[in-house]
Amino acid sequence: MTDPDISKDTENDEPFLRKVFYIFSFNIRLILKNISSRKRSTLIVILGLIFSLSVLYTSSIWTHTSEKIIADDYIETLDYEMYITSFLTHSMDEVYTYVSQDQVVEQVDWIYPSVALFNFDDKNDTYRWYPEEAQENMTNPLSLSAGFVVSSRSLNRIKLNLDIEGRSEVNSGEILISYTQAKQLESIFNETIAPGYKIDVAITRRIPNTDDGQIYMFHYDIDETKFYNYTVAGIYKYVGHNTVIDRLLGGGTSGSGGIIVDSIFFPIEDLTSLDLFIMDGWGILPRLLVKTDPQQLRIDGITSMPDNLLALRERIEIRFFHSFCYILSQEIQTMTEEYRRSFASTTLFIPTIATAIVLTILSSHMTVRRRREEIAFLRSKGAVSSQIIGIFFGEFLFISVISLVISIGTGILLAATIPSVGHGSVFNTSLFVRYLNELEMSFYDIEIFTVLILGIYLGWTLLNVITFVRRDIQESLLVTRKGQQLLTMGLKIAAFALTIAGFIFLLLDYLKLEQESFTFNLTLITASSNSLYLFIGVIFFTCYFVSLGINYLLKKSEVILSSIFKRSKFFIIKNIRRYRKSFTDTTFFLILIICLLTSFLTIRSSTIRNNILEGEYREGADLRIDAVVPVNITDFENSLSSIEGINESIGFYTAKATVGFQDVEVFGIDPLKYLRIGKWLDNSFVGMTAEEGLTALANEEEGVILSDFVVDRLEFSLNQILSITAFRGGPFYVDFRLTSIISSAPGLGVAHGHDPKMNRITNEWALINENYFLQMIEQRNSTLFLASVEENADVEQIIEQIKEINPLVVINPTFINPDYIGYFLVNYIPPVAVSLLLGAIFLNVIGVVYIIISTDFILEQRRRENAVMLALGGKQRDIRKMIISELSIFMITTVIIGFILGLILTTVLLVFIKPLIISREVVSLSIFIDVVPFIIMFITLFAAAMIGLIPILRKQMKHEIINELRAIV
Amino acid sequence: MGETFISIENLIKVFTSKAEDLTVLSGTSFQIEKGEIVCLLGTSGSGKTTTLNLLAGIDKPTSGKISYGGEDISKWDLAELYDYRLREIGFIFQDFHLMEHLTALENVMVPILLMKKEEDEAKETALELLNKVGLGAKALNHPEELSSGEKQRVCVARAVANSPSILIADEPTGTLDSKTGDVIMNLLLDLSKKNKMTMIYTTHDPYLARIATRLLIIQKGIISETEITNIEEIDYDNIIFEYKLERDVK
Repeated sequence: MTDPDISKDTENDEPFLRKVFYIFSFNIRLILKNISSRKRSTLIVILGLIFSLSVLYTSSIWTHTSEKIIADDYIETLDYEMYITSFLTHSMDEVYTYVSQDQVVEQVDWIYPSVALFNFDDKNDTYRWYPEEAQENMTNPLSLSAGFVVSSRSLNRIKLNLDIEGRSEVNSGEILISYTQAKQLESIFNETIAPGYKIDVAITRRIPNTDDGQIYMFHYDIDETKFYNYTVAGIYKYVGHNTVIDRLLGGGTSGSGGIIVDSIFFPIEDLTSLDLFIMDGWGILPRLLVKTDPQQLRIDGITSMPDNLLALRERIEIRFFHSFCYILSQEIQTMTEEYRRSFASTTLFIPTIATAIVLTILSSHMTVRRRREEIAFLRSKGAVSSQIIGIFFGEFLFISVISLVISIGTGILLAATIPSVGHGSVFNTSLFVRYLNELEMSFYDIEIFTVLILGIYLGWTLLNVITFVRRDIQESLLVTRKGQQLLTMGLKIAAFALTIAGFIFLLLDYLKLEQESFTFNLTLITASSNSLYLFIGVIFFTCYFVSLGINYLLKKSEVILSSIFKRSKFFIIKNIRRYRKSFTDTTFFLILIICLLTSFLTIRSSTIRNNILEGEYREGADLRIDAVVPVNITDFENSLSSIEGINESIGFYTAKATVGFQDVEVFGIDPLKYLRIGKWLDNSFVGMTAEEGLTALANEEEGVILSDFVVDRLEFSLNQILSITAFRGGPFYVDFRLTSIISSAPGLGVAHGHDPKMNRITNEWALINENYFLQMIEQRNSTLFLASVEENADVEQIIEQIKEINPLVVINPTFINPDYIGYFLVNYIPPVAVSLLLGAIFLNVIGVVYIIISTDFILEQRRRENAVMLALGGKQRDIRKMIISELSIFMITTVIIGFILGLILTTVLLVFIKPLIISREVVSLSIFIDVVPFIIMFITLFAAAMIGLIPILRKQMKHEIINELRAIV
Repeated sequence: MGETFISIENLIKVFTSKAEDLTVLSGTSFQIEKGEIVCLLGTSGSGKTTTLNLLAGIDKPTSGKISYGGEDISKWDLAELYDYRLREIGFIFQDFHLMEHLTALENVMVPILLMKKEEDEAKETALELLNKVGLGAKALNHPEELSSGEKQRVCVARAVANSPSILIADEPTGTLDSKTGDVIMNLLLDLSKKNKMTMIYTTHDPYLARIATRLLIIQKGIISETEITNIEEIDYDNIIFEYKLERDVK
């Protein structure tokens, strides 16, 4: 039985619920009706929101995904990240077990650096082998090379350093030999050595010490380790630079003479445990090569990688006091720094994002203004403010949800697309798919950006709605309204003043830091980013106040306008004076767009030019010749001089030494020759020209040129006597007179700090006279040579001739240090030039969208008066001409003013954004304008605006006068 | 009877919409002589405004013929229509349709400038006209600073600024009080007589029809032309009665 009370309640509730449902469904229907009847304006707002949100989502998703992929891929490009050695060789097994179990470690491999012998069969135990070039039987000599005993798994990683002809893996019964060794064997056997060649090889269980007078065959202990008929699986050339193998085996960079360029790899499984035990016993110390797990290494973010690696080293060295761990800290540190710098450069994109937000605000503003009559109508029908706001809120909520969903999708796709096209090559599908597969989203970022954009949008829109809802009250209080306007303007001026003050404060802070630092370190990058954030505010405010000024000037420039538009001057001048608010918005936004476009394109062209100049400067001369294997400088210089077309050449004698606390690479040069050959810059020397600096050195036999950093830190002064100590292979202590101070030199790069674009190992270098160098040090070989060529000489032919002298040489390489991490990062983070170009394209799109929206809005506002004009006898053609003329005035004025303003602001920008766009200011960064992109961008902007305007004009002109007059209340 | 100035023959105007077609004028014919002051009297929605719009060349008939000076204006191309509106027509809108960003003076200058006359000349003429309508003192005021009556005076001045042959006024006093309405009507009458213009105006107020020299009553899209040409002979009381009756029935 039904409870009568409940039944009664239900009866009472039903109409109430129905009422609520009716009101709810009515509002929903009204919202949907409003949206469907304003498809175009709704679409514009949705597009604006999608654009703003997508850009932010893209930056977040791209950043997080890139961080992961970059870390994984970078670690994959390294052979190993660490090698371990110990003077207690019997403890190495224990070290191996311990390290293998560490969570950061993925793989540990053994390597025995022994010696390989060839052509040993007919040599008896007493055969005298040393020196190799003057051994007992030079008609049938023994051939020696370094012999690295490794596992196939290890070789699989080491091969990243090698350019191999043939197979890269080495199975039992196979060896991998270097190109140099192959050539040596060819000359001995008088046969061509190619992959598949069968050869006898011996791996020594002992390396005799020639200092002890051990010069006979039996000292090698090869009786048990002779291997016959081994197959040459492959012949390699060494290509690695910044790797563990390079540090362990010496890659031949910087004239150090690496053993890997003349060596072989031998499979460890072909040696017995006894052999290895004996090798241990004879002091052939095995090393452990450690490969880390990238996922573990980057577990706390890419920037934590160097710390995690250092922590691993500390764990090992604390556990095994006798061990020594070498880690690739410099490379990984450089990678993280370059990564942070590369991503810091994306802050240059912020103005584009801010512009997109402003576009959203302005379009929302226009949408609401367009609907003010609807608001007035609703009010006249008795709708209370909350109901009107509720309807608008509902609509914008609906729009926001749609935009949000689409933006997340767009953000994901763009995040995968940018790296796939960013490095300028064709679309990289595999990278695109990889980004999608390994997508990393920060929900915190997504939440913040959503709240930020939709909050701004909803807040601004509702503020506009409320303003219109309350308009009658405001209008009745005209004085208060004027007071409000004054107050608003006062607040804007105060905000502008505060922004400028804040910016100046940060700029001074930056300049102070820049003066104190010699490189663009992370502190400077942060200071630069902070200054940029506030400067964006300065740009926006400046454009706003300039637009007010332009409107004022346009109002006052009747004479000019009258002379331009003789017939329609009355209407054009009146129209320009009218819609001050709309025109201020339009002028502001267009100036902002043009100003930012100018800045983006100017910074882009300046950066590109700077990179080119810097590249040329780093190359140093007409020809930069890397001999790869050190060669005798005098001989090679003579060979180069004999080539027709080469003017002069210079080789760099090098030795490591110490100045104060600082390790330096000392280059012995002929200063005047270097002056003639090198392509010097005005800022190469501190306080003097290159000619003065090098002549001073030439005139002072015991002179030295030092980097500004060392001079500054050790408080040296010009002509002061200073000591350079611990010359490797030379005297311990030599006094020099400081003749000049240098910051960089052609071919050598910067004089202070790690120069990742060069393949030098040391951070500092010094220049001394070649003759004085030769008096002290027995070093006669080098790998680095610079040469100048005669005017109109055939450089390609000269290069061919040099290669005939030495086929190993690398001349004018595309990249001096191909391992420079910047080239790697470019695959994931577009270089600054591309980011700026993307930003410029986005700005262009925003500009075109805004021109179309605002023109549509302004023309919509003028529908009535156009109809009245037509009714009074005006011609459509004249009205059309008038509209185009007005638009052109604004476009031309804003383009000119925006361009000039852009150049002025770029000049300021270049003072403090250098750390975000270049890694080192080797060549002074100055403004350079590439006209072509400007023309393309401006023509695109104009053309798109005009093309976008045509359908709007056509639509407007199609309206029947009578309908227009009738439709207007 | 004088020379026929404007001739309407079998004029039909149908407004088409998605819902249904609305026939506003269903085959009406009448003639207007030069210098006549014609009043179109009818209730709201009877087709008064449509008739004026067709006469002014700002709307096109569905069928029928509108002859001006012997030519059918419904067959004219856009250029001819622009010229017709500019030179022959002075239009006074019920809702004024003044340009808010222009002053009273500038609003009056618009048709003169559209005739490609010099700005100074336009200004002089416009000021003269504003003085005539009694608004010389407020020549530099914007429409938002004027009362409804003042706005309509500006409209009157603007309508005659191009010295048209035909002055068309759509409910010129529709939004005004009776006193102001009388002033405006007297002003129109005065101007049209002085400038020898043909004036056609609409009203739904029979009292204002008194100033016309000829009365056309429009009902359900058909204009019935009174035979009375002498204004004194019009039985206004009867018309007013019929009008009220029709309105009440509606």
